[in-house]
Amino acid sequence: MRGSNFSYLMKQGVVSVWRNRMMSFASFCIIMVSLLLISLSLLVAADINIVIESAEEKNEVLVYVSDADQARLDSVESAIKTQSYVGEVVFYSKEEAWEDQKAKMEEYSELFDALTENPMPDTFRVTLSDISKMDEARAAFEAIEGVESVSAPYDFASVLVSLRTTLAIIGGAVLIALIVVCIVIVYNSTRTSVFVRRKEIGIMKSVGATNFFIKFPFFIEGMFIGIISGAVAWLLTKLAYESLVSFFAGDLTIWEVLGLVNVIQFNDIMWIALGFNCLAGAFLGAFGTILSMGKHLKV
Amino acid sequence: MVELKNVDVHYKDGGKGGVDALHNVNIRINDGEFVFVVGNSGAGKSTLLKLLTRELTPTNGRVFVNGYNLSKIKKRKLPYFRRSVGMIFQDFRLIPDMTVYENVAFVLRVIDKSNKYIRQRVPYVLNLVRLADKAKVKPTQLSGGEQQRVAIARAFAIDPGLIIADEPTGNIDPALSYEMVELLKDINKCGTTVIMVTHEHDLVQYFGGRIINLSSGSVAFDDYIEGEEDEDEGE
Repeated sequence: MRGSNFSYLMKQGVVSVWRNRMMSFASFCIIMVSLLLISLSLLVAADINIVIESAEEKNEVLVYVSDADQARLDSVESAIKTQSYVGEVVFYSKEEAWEDQKAKMEEYSELFDALTENPMPDTFRVTLSDISKMDEARAAFEAIEGVESVSAPYDFASVLVSLRTTLAIIGGAVLIALIVVCIVIVYNSTRTSVFVRRKEIGIMKSVGATNFFIKFPFFIEGMFIGIISGAVAWLLTKLAYESLVSFFAGDLTIWEVLGLVNVIQFNDIMWIALGFNCLAGAFLGAFGTILSMGKHLKV
Repeated sequence: MVELKNVDVHYKDGGKGGVDALHNVNIRINDGEFVFVVGNSGAGKSTLLKLLTRELTPTNGRVFVNGYNLSKIKKRKLPYFRRSVGMIFQDFRLIPDMTVYENVAFVLRVIDKSNKYIRQRVPYVLNLVRLADKAKVKPTQLSGGEQQRVAIARAFAIDPGLIIADEPTGNIDPALSYEMVELLKDINKCGTTVIMVTHEHDLVQYFGGRIINLSSGSVAFDDYIEGEEDEDEGE
C-alpha cells in the first residue's frame, strides 16, 4: 500500500473517533478508569510486596538452646538447616548475649555482677526465605531435640501474607472484570461505528476495497482511543499515587516500622508506567475492535 | 466480456420448495457493447446483477466477467475483480459527509491510486460529467440528476472494463433520464462495456441497441432493435 493511502487510513481512523464521539467517549472513560484502577492496584500491590519483603528480611525466628555443649549446638544447627525454607542461620552465643545485655543495662551493672551464672540461652537467629512458612518453621524447630523454645513473629507475618493473598484475589477478579467491561464497551463502540459507516463500507466493497483497507481505520480508531485513555490514566495515576504516598509520608513512625519508607517513587517508573498504560490501552482498544469486526464487519 | 452459461439460481427461502430466480440463462456480452436489460418485477434482473458482481453464486452453470470465473473465484481475489467493474445504483450511494471531489477520489484511494493520479483523474471525470464546478459541493446540495452524474463519474473514475448501472434513471426527473443514458453512451464510446438495467421502455425504444428481456427468470428476448434516436438521425 502507498504511504499516502496508509496515512489516509490512519487519518480516517482518528476522524472516526470524533464522528462516533458518544461511543468513543464511553470507551475512553471505561478504558481510562480501568487502567487507572489497574495501575493503582499494581503499584499498591508492588508496595505491599516491598513491605512483605522488608518484613521477610527482618523476620527472625529465634531458636533458644539451653545448657548445650558444642556437639548439641552443632546438631541443632544441622537440623535447622535441613528445612528448605531456611535462609540464613546465625549463631548468637550465650556469652555474646550476656555481654550485650550488660552493655544495654549499664546502670544495673551491680545486679549483673551479683549473678554467678550466665542466665542467657544460646540462640540461633534463623532467617526464613519464605515468610509464609513461619508457622511450619516454628513447629519444626520446636521439635528439634535440645531446643528449649522458639520465638517467631507469626502474627505479623500471617497478616501480611493473608493481606497479600486477599489483595491478589480481589485485584485479580476486579482486573478481569474491568478488562471484560472494556472489551465489551469497545466492541459496542466499533459496532456503532460500523453501523454509522455502513454506506461507506458498502461502497468500499463494491469498488474493490481489500479487507485491510476496510478494517484498518476501525482498528486505528480502537487503538487511538486506547492510547489516549492510557495516557490520561497514567496522568491520573501519577496524581493519585503521589497524593497517597505524601499522605502516608506525613506520619513516618508507623510506616517506617512497616518498611513503607521504601515504597516505589512514581517518578522512578514514570516512563515505564506511561508505556504500560498506553500499550495496555492500545491492546484493549484493538482487541475489542477485532472481536467486533469479526462479528459485524463481514467483508 | 460477460458470459453466463446454463445459469440457474434457486432461492431456498422463497416459500414452499423455494423459487427459481433464473433458469437456464445463457448470455454473452462482448467487450465494448452497450446492453439494456429489461423485465418486469421478479423477472430476475436483480439476481442477474448480483451474479455479475459476485454477491451471489449460481446454483448451476458458470459466470465469467472480465476474465474472472465468478463461480470459482477465491474470496481474496474478489476485491481485484470488483475493481474491474463500475457500479451505478438507483439510490446513487454517495457519501453525504464528503464533497463531490472526495466521493470520486475516495474510490481511487480504495484501489490504492497515488495522490498525483487522483489529482489528475478526478477533475477529468468530473469534467466529463459536466460537474467540474460542483467539485467542492456536498451531494445533499445537488439535484437527483447531478447526484447520479457524480455516481457515474465515480464508477468511471476507476477506469473499469465494465459498468453496471442498476436502474440509474429510477430516482431522477424523466426528462433527465435521456441525458443520463447519453452520458453512459459517451463512456461506452471510450470502450467500456455498459450493462444498464431499466424498466423504462420509452428509454429503450428511444436509444435502441441490444436488448435483453428477462421474463420469469429466463431470457425471453435477446436481440438488437433500431432506436428512435437512430431514426431521427436517419431523417
